[in-house]
Amino acid sequence: MIVVENLCKRYGSVQAVRDVSFRVDPKEVVGFLGPNGAGKSTTLRIMAGFLGATSGRVRIDGHDIVEEPIAARACIGYMPENVPLYPEMRVREYLKFRAEIKAVPRSRRNDAIEQAMHDARITDHADKLIGQLSKGYRQRVGLADALVARPPVLILDEPTAGLDPNQIREVRDLVRSLAKQHTVLLSTHIMSEVESTCDRALVIHKGRLVGQGGLDELRMLRRAGSARFALRGDAAAVEKKLRSLPEVGKVRRPGAAAARAADVAVFDVTWKDAVEDTSAAMEKAVATLVGAGFGVREASPGKTSLEDVFALLTEQQGREDRPGNQDAPADQQGASS
Amino acid sequence: MKGFWPVFKRDLFASFVTPAAWVMIVLFLLLQGVNFYYLVQHFVNQVDLAVDQGPIQWFFGETVLFYLPLLMLPPALTMRAFAEERRAGTIETLLTAPVSTPAIVIAKWSAAMVTYLAAWAPTLLYIIILRRAGPVDWNVVASSYLGVVLIGSAFLALGVLMSAMSKSQFVSLVLALSVTIGLFILGIGEFIFDRGLAHDLCSYISIWSQMSDFSKGLVDTRHLVFDLSLSALPLFVTVRVVDAWRWG
Repeated sequence: MIVVENLCKRYGSVQAVRDVSFRVDPKEVVGFLGPNGAGKSTTLRIMAGFLGATSGRVRIDGHDIVEEPIAARACIGYMPENVPLYPEMRVREYLKFRAEIKAVPRSRRNDAIEQAMHDARITDHADKLIGQLSKGYRQRVGLADALVARPPVLILDEPTAGLDPNQIREVRDLVRSLAKQHTVLLSTHIMSEVESTCDRALVIHKGRLVGQGGLDELRMLRRAGSARFALRGDAAAVEKKLRSLPEVGKVRRPGAAAARAADVAVFDVTWKDAVEDTSAAMEKAVATLVGAGFGVREASPGKTSLEDVFALLTEQQGREDRPGNQDAPADQQGASS
Repeated sequence: MKGFWPVFKRDLFASFVTPAAWVMIVLFLLLQGVNFYYLVQHFVNQVDLAVDQGPIQWFFGETVLFYLPLLMLPPALTMRAFAEERRAGTIETLLTAPVSTPAIVIAKWSAAMVTYLAAWAPTLLYIIILRRAGPVDWNVVASSYLGVVLIGSAFLALGVLMSAMSKSQFVSLVLALSVTIGLFILGIGEFIFDRGLAHDLCSYISIWSQMSDFSKGLVDTRHLVFDLSLSALPLFVTVRVVDAWRWG
């Protein structure tokens, strides 16, 4: 449905997107994951036809975005970041304008608008001025706009940014329900969002696609690499016990401030790289400690941030790139200029 | 021209649903009304009138109170066109919709043109008032309004182009004003330079002598060609500018 080949985008001397290639199959929900400034929005803008690529191709449903821009854009419902809207229009008026501009036939226009408002749960605000809507409702208007022409492809740039947890859940449910009829590509910098809504993730970092794969692979990357234990008992004995476990790599004591009571010692444990199931390792560690007679006050898995995952992925990427591959990106740049 | 109608309607809607267009039209009519009042006052006291020196001729082009609004209204009407879309970011939803760039540009120019015509329309009342006082030369009326429409069309096209040059409405307004007023001042050179190239050039682009021809019932094809090319060229450049944003 979406084919992106060797996409590069350069702003002056800044290479915002470097040689990105991927494809999205029909009815697939794909998350575009990356930290701020990774090139997500630039890539999505190129795909939506708002920006031109320095080199590379984008095809939407077989239409090249440069050669057949109007046919390609007609296949896309695009919701830009921050959802720009006309404040002086009412929701229904705006959607009517968007339906018309997207060439929804007059006979079906009203139904299409009602359906889009229903799907985006904005019907009860249909006659409000857009300028008076809260962030969450503006986001819904943007979604309704993307949906109104029922395009086969939806491109949503950070659809949950700036929403409260309830609204985020609603948007996620909505995206999941849309997946039955649409191909969805959404960008986010929140990992759990991809896990809860997407079938597959594309990970982008510094303009480069550093990883792509199903959710299981992503979960693997996300495994907790460390754990924190708060224990009551003789600190030296506890430390010795922890070190004796085969899964444990490093043990560190984060200082007295972390402990809430005088007789409680806090340890940060880093699991060995070879340990795949860290939850099981944690369970085992707790059992061992309890068995040894220490009082376990707290045991929590360390949180893997997106940054850690990127560090991991870029490390892998670096290892793959090194043998003889180093010239490849330089060639790409030379060819595109 | 896919997408012309919705964009045209939305732009008209945006200017008339907000006070913007109304404020400009009221100010414009206020100035025109003052102008007309003084002209009538002036001619009431004249005993004998020359054939081509009546209130209509004077209204269209012999007073600064006519040129002030003519030069200032088009930039005010077009300053929003692209500048506001870019500032608000809505240009992104507009350019990713299945519409062609020429359609967007022409739609924005047409919406400004309709607002411009709406501002001029009530001045037809002055002609009706004059008609009650004496005979009116309808050819002069027609050619005068033709001049107003043609010059307006050129100024609006220049204004749309200037609006595409900046993200700020204010900067667009200043740019467009400097173009229309600059063009007018260059035309005044006709009366400053003696015969020669400078004089010919200035008289060719002179808005003043153009309007004074139109207000005498003279429709010169040179003026037509000038105004029509000054409408088409900026719009063409605007299309290129808007397309160039994609590659910036």
